[in-house]
Amino acid sequence: MSRQKTLLERRYAALGLTLIAPTVLIFSAVIVYPLFSAIYLSFYNVFTPTLEGEWVGLSNYAELLQSGKFWNALKNTLIWTIGSLSLQLIFGIGMALVLHQNIWFRSLARSLILFPYFISTVVAVLVWKWLFNDLYGILNHLLMKVGIIDFPMDFLGTMPNAMISVIMVGAWKYFPFVVIAVLARLQSIPDALYEAAKIDGAGPIARFFDITLPQLRDVLVVIVMLRAIWDFKEFDLIFLLTGGGPLNDTQTLPLLVYQEAFALNDMGMASAYAVVMMLIMLVFMIVYIRRTKDDEGS
Amino acid sequence: MLTFRKILFNLMAWSIVLAVAFPLFWMLVTSVKPGFELFRRPPTILPETWTFEHYWKLLSETNFLIYFRNSIILSSATTLVVVAVATLGAFSLVRFKYRGRESLAFLVLFTYLLPSVVLIIPLYLLLVGLGVSNTIFSLVIAYTTFALPYALWLLRSFMAGIPEDLESAALCDGATRMGAFRDVILPQLLPGIISTALFTFILSWNEYLYALVLVNSDSSRPLTTGVMNMLISSFNIEWSLLMAASVMMSVPLIIVFAFLQSYLTRGFGAGGVKG
Amino acid sequence: MAEVVFSKVQKKFGAFTAVHGLDLSIAEGEFVSLLGPSGCGKTTTLRMLAGLEFPSSGDIQIGDRVVNDLAPGQRDIAMVFQSYALYPHLTVGDNIGYPLKKRGVGKAERLAAVAKTAELLQLTELLKRKPRQLSGGQQQRVALGRALVRDPQVFLLDEPLSNLDAKLRGYMRVELVELHRRLGRTMVYVTHDQLEAMTMSDRIAVMEGGKLQQFAPPAQVYAEPANRFVASFIGTPGMTLIDGDLSQTGGVWTFNAPGLSMPVGPLTDEATAGPACLGVRPEHVSIGTGPVQGVIQVVEKTGHENIVIIGLEGGHRLTGRVPAPQSWSIGESVQLTLEAEHAHIFGAGPHGARLNRPHETAPLKTKHNPDKTKPKLQKAANE
Repeated sequence: MSRQKTLLERRYAALGLTLIAPTVLIFSAVIVYPLFSAIYLSFYNVFTPTLEGEWVGLSNYAELLQSGKFWNALKNTLIWTIGSLSLQLIFGIGMALVLHQNIWFRSLARSLILFPYFISTVVAVLVWKWLFNDLYGILNHLLMKVGIIDFPMDFLGTMPNAMISVIMVGAWKYFPFVVIAVLARLQSIPDALYEAAKIDGAGPIARFFDITLPQLRDVLVVIVMLRAIWDFKEFDLIFLLTGGGPLNDTQTLPLLVYQEAFALNDMGMASAYAVVMMLIMLVFMIVYIRRTKDDEGS
Repeated sequence: MLTFRKILFNLMAWSIVLAVAFPLFWMLVTSVKPGFELFRRPPTILPETWTFEHYWKLLSETNFLIYFRNSIILSSATTLVVVAVATLGAFSLVRFKYRGRESLAFLVLFTYLLPSVVLIIPLYLLLVGLGVSNTIFSLVIAYTTFALPYALWLLRSFMAGIPEDLESAALCDGATRMGAFRDVILPQLLPGIISTALFTFILSWNEYLYALVLVNSDSSRPLTTGVMNMLISSFNIEWSLLMAASVMMSVPLIIVFAFLQSYLTRGFGAGGVKG
Repeated sequence: MAEVVFSKVQKKFGAFTAVHGLDLSIAEGEFVSLLGPSGCGKTTTLRMLAGLEFPSSGDIQIGDRVVNDLAPGQRDIAMVFQSYALYPHLTVGDNIGYPLKKRGVGKAERLAAVAKTAELLQLTELLKRKPRQLSGGQQQRVALGRALVRDPQVFLLDEPLSNLDAKLRGYMRVELVELHRRLGRTMVYVTHDQLEAMTMSDRIAVMEGGKLQQFAPPAQVYAEPANRFVASFIGTPGMTLIDGDLSQTGGVWTFNAPGLSMPVGPLTDEATAGPACLGVRPEHVSIGTGPVQGVIQVVEKTGHENIVIIGLEGGHRLTGRVPAPQSWSIGESVQLTLEAEHAHIFGAGPHGARLNRPHETAPLKTKHNPDKTKPKLQKAANE
C-alpha cells in the first residue's frame, strides 16, 4: 500500500532530523571520517614528521602478522584483560555483597570504594608509583616488615612483577564499576525471594547460589562485556605505569599503536595495528550491541 | 543488639574498605609531610609535622595553575558543547520517527565502545591539517569523539525514562514539539543532564592520550599531561610535590563526591550498566 | 461543539495493522465509548483523533475541518490520559493553567479560570501542591481540570478511571456523566471496562482486532449484539454461546446441538442451514420446567441473585441467573427452558453476524439524545 504521510508527520520528521543534525555533523567529522581514514592510512607508509606517504597495499598487514611484536602485544593485551577483569569481578561482586549488608557508615564506605574509579588515571598512577617506590615506598616496607621479602622488590621493572602490578592497579581502579553495577542489581532483588528460600530451609550459601547469582546473571554478562571492551583498549594506565616495559613485556595493542605512530613514526603501520585491534574488539562489540538491541526490543 | 558476629563482620568490611582507600589516604598524607619525613624508616603514618609548603611551591613555582586553568576551560567547553548537542540529539533519537533513526542509535553505541587509538592518528593529521593543533580548541574537538557518544547514550536512556504521555499531554494542551521540550521534557531531564554533565566533565578532566598526542606546549597543556611532565622532566622526583598535585587535581572530583554523588550513581544506572 | 468523523481510517505500524479502514461518525455533543479488549485499536484510534498518531490513510474530521495535518494543539481538543500525565514539576494550579498559558491567555484571566475549575472539581485547597503529593483520585481530578479549563470542542478520555479503586471509579462515573450533561460537549471515551461504557455512553463503538464490530446505543449493543464477538464481550456473566447446526423445515428455523434442539427465529435472509451458534443471556434461562435436561455444576451466590452454571447432556455449559432465594445443590438434575424469543443466532466463526430479524417494535431507545432537548449549561469554568 502506498503510504501518504500527513503534513504533520513530515514536519515532525523534519524537526527530528534538524535536532539530530549537529550530532550527525560532528560524528561524521570527528568519528566516521577518521575511522575510514584510519583504514585508508593502513595501506600506506606514512613518515610521521613529514607526513609523506606511499601506497603499500596490504604489506603493513602482512608485516604485522609476521612480526613478533603484534603477537606479543596481543598476548599481553589478553593477559592484562583477563587478569584484571577477573580480579575486578571477584572483588567487585564481593564488595557489593558486603556493601549490600547493613554495615556501619555504609554511604561513606560506598564513597570510599567508588573514589578510585573516578580519579584520573594520572593520579592513580602517581600514587601507586609512590607506593611501589623501591627505596621509600610503603609497600616494600610493609612486605619486609611482615617478612614476606628480605630485600625491596622491583614492582614495575622486572617480570612478572610488572604485569602483576599493572593488573593489580587496574583491578583497584576499575572494580568499583562492578561494585556499583552489582549493588544496584542486588537492591532490586525482591526480599520475598529470600524469605521464601528461608522458609524452604536454604542457608546463606544456598541462598547466594540459588537466588543471588541467577538474579545477577544478566547484569554480570553486561558488566563482563563492557569491562572487557574497556580493558582491552586501556592505554593510560599501562602506558603511565610501565610504558610497556620491561622490554615490551607489558606492551598491549593500544601501546603498540602509539609507539608505532609517535615513537617509530610509522603512521601507516600504526593504523594497521589499530584496525586489526578494532576488528578483534568488534566481536565483543557486536555481541554487546546485539544484546542491547534485544533488551530494547523486549 | 550488637552481636559479636556483627561487630566482626563490620570490622572486616571496614578493613577492606580502608585498604582500598589507603592509596588515596597515603597520597593525602604524603602531600602534607615535610620532605625529610618521607624518607624516615619506619615511615610515619600520620605526619609528625604538617606542612603546606608543597602546595605553596606547586602553585607558585610550577605551571600547575596554568594547567589547572587549561583543564577547567577544556572540560567546561567540552561538557557544554557535548551536553547541548547530545540533549537535542537524544530528544530526536527517542521521540521522533524518521528513516535511519535506529541505525544511528546503534552507531552511537558502537562509537561509545570504539578505542581512542583507532581515531587518534587520523584526528592528529586532521587537526594538524586544519592548523589548530597544540591548542585547547583542538582538544575540545578530540574530546567530543568519546564524550559525545557517551553523553548521547546516557541522555538517550534518561530521555526514554520520561513518560511519553507527558509530552503528549503538553501537545494536546497547545504546545509545539519544541515548546513541550522546553516546558515539560527539559525540567524532567534536568537530573539526567546534570549526571551526564558531571560524567562528561570528569571524563574530560581525566583524559590523557589525546592531550599527550595533540598538545605539547605548556600554555595549552591540561593537568593530566602537565603533571605527568613534572614527573618526567624533574631530575629529582619530589613525591610530596607530586602528591600535592594529585590532591589538587582531584579537587573537582572531591567536590562532586561531597555534594552531587547521587547524580553519579544515577548516571551509572542509566548508561554504564543497563546499556 | 463538533461532530467527529473517521472516514476509512487505517493505521499501520510496520507490517501490523492496528486499525482497519475505520468509518465512524460521532454526533455533536455525544458521549461515545470506544470499547474493546487490549490491543483492539481503541487507544490508537483516540490518539489519531488527538494528533498524537498519524493515520496511514483516511481522513479524520472534527467539526467541519479535516484535521489530519493539524498539530494536536490546533485541533481544539483536550485529552485526559490513563497515567494522568500531570507535569511533575508544576503545581496543581500551574498544571491546570498550562493549556491557557499555551494559548496566550493573560495571567489574571488564567488564574481566575484555574480557580473556577478548581472549585468545580474541589481542588481549591490543593492548588499549591505538586502532583506527587496528591492521592490517585486527586491526581485524576487535576487531569480532568486541565482538560476542562479550556472549552475544547471535543474531550478525549483514555481509560481515565482505570487507575482508581472500585469505589472511586463508581463515583467518578457518575461525576463524568454529570459533567457531560452540563458541558454538552462531544466526548470520546476509551475503555476496556464494559460497565463504564454501558453506564456512561450515548453510543458504544465496540472494537476488536482493529475493526469496528458494532456502533450502537448500550441497550442495543446488549440486546442485539451485531456479531458473536460483541455478544461474548458484552454482559457479565457472559452470554452462553453454543455451537451447533441450523436447519429449516417449512419456514421454521431450528437450532440443533447435542442435548439441545429448539426452534429459533425469525431470521434474516442471510441465514442458511448449516453450522451456527446459539446465544442465550443468563437471564433468559429459566430453571424448573422445560424441554432441556441439565445438571447443576456451580452455584455462585452474589447476594441478590445466584449465578448457576448448568451442564447439558451434550457437554455444553449454560449460565443462568436467578433471584437469590432460588438455589439448587450441586449435581441436581433440572429441566430448563431457553427463551426462544430472546435467543440469538450467529453465523459460524468467531465474528459470525447476528442473524435474528430486528424486533418490529424497537424496544430500545438511546439513553438520552444529546441534542436540542438538553439544557445548554454554561461551561464549567472558562467563560
